[in-house]
Amino acid sequence: MKKKDIIACLKANKNISDYEVIISDKDSRELFYVLDHLEINRAVKVETVSIRIYVSNKKTTGSSTVTVTAADDRKSLSQKLSKAVGRAKAARNAYYPLCEKTTNIKETKSAAKDLNKIATNVAEAVLKADTYKDGWINSTEIFVSQFREEFINSRGVDHVSDRFKVEIECIPTWSNGKDEYELYKFYESNVVDYKQITKEIKEILNLAKDRSVAKTIKQVKIPQNIKVLVKNDMLETIVDNLANDLSYSNVYMKQNHYQKKDIVSDNKFELTMKGSVKGCCASRKYDGHGVILRSRNLIRDGVVKNNYGDLQFGYYLNEKNISGKLPVAQIKAKGTSTYKKEKHLIIENFSSPQLEENSGYWGGEVRLARYFDGEKYIPLTGFSIAGSIYEDLKNVEFSKEETITSKYAGPKYMIFSGLKIS
Amino acid sequence: MLEKYLKSRIGDAKKLVQSLNKTYDYVSILGNFVNTKMITSSTHLNSMDEVDNECGFVIKVYKDGRYSEYSCNDIRGLKASEVIKAVKLDKIVSRDFKVKMLEENEHVEDFLREDTSKLSNKQIQDSLTLTRKQLEESDEKVINVVCRYVKRQTSKIFVSNKKTLSQKYDWINVMLLVVVRDKDVIKSNYKAEGEATSDKALSMFKKHAPEVKDMAIRLLDAKPVKPGKYTIITDPSISGLIAHEAFGHGVEMDMFVKNRAKAKDYVGKYVASPLVDMYDGAASCLSAASYFFDDDGVEAHNTQIIKKGILQTGISDSLSAMELGSVPTGNGRRQDYQRKVYTRMTNTWFGKGKDKLEDMIKSVKHGYYLCQTNNGMEDPKNWQIQCTAEYGLEIKNGKFTGKVISPVVISGYVIDLLNSISMVSDKVTVHGSGMCGKGHKEWVYVSDGGPYLKAEAKLG
Repeated sequence: MKKKDIIACLKANKNISDYEVIISDKDSRELFYVLDHLEINRAVKVETVSIRIYVSNKKTTGSSTVTVTAADDRKSLSQKLSKAVGRAKAARNAYYPLCEKTTNIKETKSAAKDLNKIATNVAEAVLKADTYKDGWINSTEIFVSQFREEFINSRGVDHVSDRFKVEIECIPTWSNGKDEYELYKFYESNVVDYKQITKEIKEILNLAKDRSVAKTIKQVKIPQNIKVLVKNDMLETIVDNLANDLSYSNVYMKQNHYQKKDIVSDNKFELTMKGSVKGCCASRKYDGHGVILRSRNLIRDGVVKNNYGDLQFGYYLNEKNISGKLPVAQIKAKGTSTYKKEKHLIIENFSSPQLEENSGYWGGEVRLARYFDGEKYIPLTGFSIAGSIYEDLKNVEFSKEETITSKYAGPKYMIFSGLKIS
Repeated sequence: MLEKYLKSRIGDAKKLVQSLNKTYDYVSILGNFVNTKMITSSTHLNSMDEVDNECGFVIKVYKDGRYSEYSCNDIRGLKASEVIKAVKLDKIVSRDFKVKMLEENEHVEDFLREDTSKLSNKQIQDSLTLTRKQLEESDEKVINVVCRYVKRQTSKIFVSNKKTLSQKYDWINVMLLVVVRDKDVIKSNYKAEGEATSDKALSMFKKHAPEVKDMAIRLLDAKPVKPGKYTIITDPSISGLIAHEAFGHGVEMDMFVKNRAKAKDYVGKYVASPLVDMYDGAASCLSAASYFFDDDGVEAHNTQIIKKGILQTGISDSLSAMELGSVPTGNGRRQDYQRKVYTRMTNTWFGKGKDKLEDMIKSVKHGYYLCQTNNGMEDPKNWQIQCTAEYGLEIKNGKFTGKVISPVVISGYVIDLLNSISMVSDKVTVHGSGMCGKGHKEWVYVSDGGPYLKAEAKLG
């Protein structure tokens, strides 16, 4: 259905007090490899339309969602909207207002990219790293996608965003002559950098090599209270949990561990939630309610300063300057760890990072770690680490090296002491 | 009844298949129409939404030893030339390798399984709200209660040269979450179940709400387990988690094609204690992943994976079966019409044994009774596992001590764990409320379960 027909249907229903419409276009090319042979290629060209209608009065807001499909015409959409009004009237919450028009975001439609060509070049960049005798890329999935999204609401907000993404899932394998060992790599970027792709695939292949010769903690004695360095998905999980604890919704539901002015850490680090950071794929200029995102400094000098989050819960908490649901976390550390000078353990790859937000339990089974014994790094595997995040953050340290992931920018490693290693 | 719109596209699909057959050796079209209704009554937020709805098509073609797919919103008016242009690659980066072409038998059939209870939205919402209010008022430590009902109505058509299939099936999930707080300590407990009808699904709230809340409060005093090796008794949800994570992922045969699963070399060999039987299949029981045909148009199966401890076979989608020279088992599944087919588990469970739960508990000198799935992660290549239970109850000298540990991570080597199974209870429960990813994406609805199992495991 055309946008004007959708809006006409919404305006025709007098029971609808407000609405939000999100129209998303996706154009994607995908290549699936087993070893170095292409098993299947895919093209995806779709549009999805999602509507949220509101039925509000001075005290309550009821809302419900409707999906517009290719099966819909004006008649069927009008019927769907009437049913949605019934649902919205039945499921009411305390009143909150919608986003009002300020300045609309209008990202220029980027020039049409040759997605097939980019996907092919990405495949070449991946396979270029596959040069080892005992190690290889077992399978690779490549996704090159272009997205265009329009957000419209009944208060005059009309944003348009344009995004591009390259994603690679890759399974590196290494044989030690007796057994084969594999790891997992997920690469995501909103810029095309073939050299970087080759470099990162080579790195993960070499980590698979490390896993193939890794020792157990029965074979290598690790000192108690050793500094443990976590990175990538575990680091993202910890930062996510911390940010979520400080979100308006968690505070409103009284499920937060930290209040404003609480000391999170003796390390005087800063945590700022942002809309966009260059290189972070999760970057956005506005959130799901159309709120233009404003950076919010949550932790300064290790102390909680602010909360952040979406319109509804921000309003419930009487926040005057609602940040919007910010997708990217940035950490700035004051003073960095001197871990390199002492024995330490770098966790390269967890089986699956665990963090239970209520109890703060975190850790998991380690597929590959590197233990620095004071002279050299020794690959280790087959053990678990466990800690209590709200305790462990009190003495957290950060590395000088920095990194950018999909939704995080800051020190490459978070460094903890006193974790259980078993 | 099959969703009207999809039914109206069967003719279009047949014409497009004919037209594309002039260029390609094999053509199939899958049409998906999924409608999901979610009703939530919670302390802080109520909602009644349509979520995760999906409507679209995927066209699969084969020529010169390679498959291509095109995902789109609609096929009415779609020209063969548009599909050909969309999937054409100007340059192919690949070693010269030819995948075999899918072979199909003639099959024309319509399948139907609908929710027979006719509860209105208001009746469902009232039922959820009643439970919520009772729990909120039952203890001042309760700070948040979430009662949720999700009904998923799935319609699919599959059209190829030899097949014209349609199916419609419903599944209902319910979930209860209770969050409690005592000063700075916050804990939660949940219960999730799935049923084929709404009334049966909603009965979970009445049956289990008090015990879910009571356990949430007990968890306020729970401590982490002292890492080590223990005797464990797993409840059916944890037995299912082990079946799914420890062994299920390892017998998905697209992993055999990639040589990524150790199980490939163990067919016909002992992989578990002789007390262990294990099954998977959309037709193995009625649960969350019970469909009539998979996304390759292959009828649902019931596959016995382990028989008396010996690995019998894996499970497969059509393409993997073609490459391995085996028979597809109806396990080809897509997250949605925009995604590729992979070999995926469906309903995965251990078979029953002969032991009574009471005898199993009595036999434990020191160990833990592990309950409630949290999550798990597989490692089919190296057979390491990681499964997390929400909590465990300490058993000493055959009796519960009242001590609770939480959360509990089970890790170790799959074969050691399965070989250590020494008792298997005489009743099986399959929980139809889960979702499963492949690697870290491709989410599909699954169920798992089994009897109570007694085993030895590393807890941390």
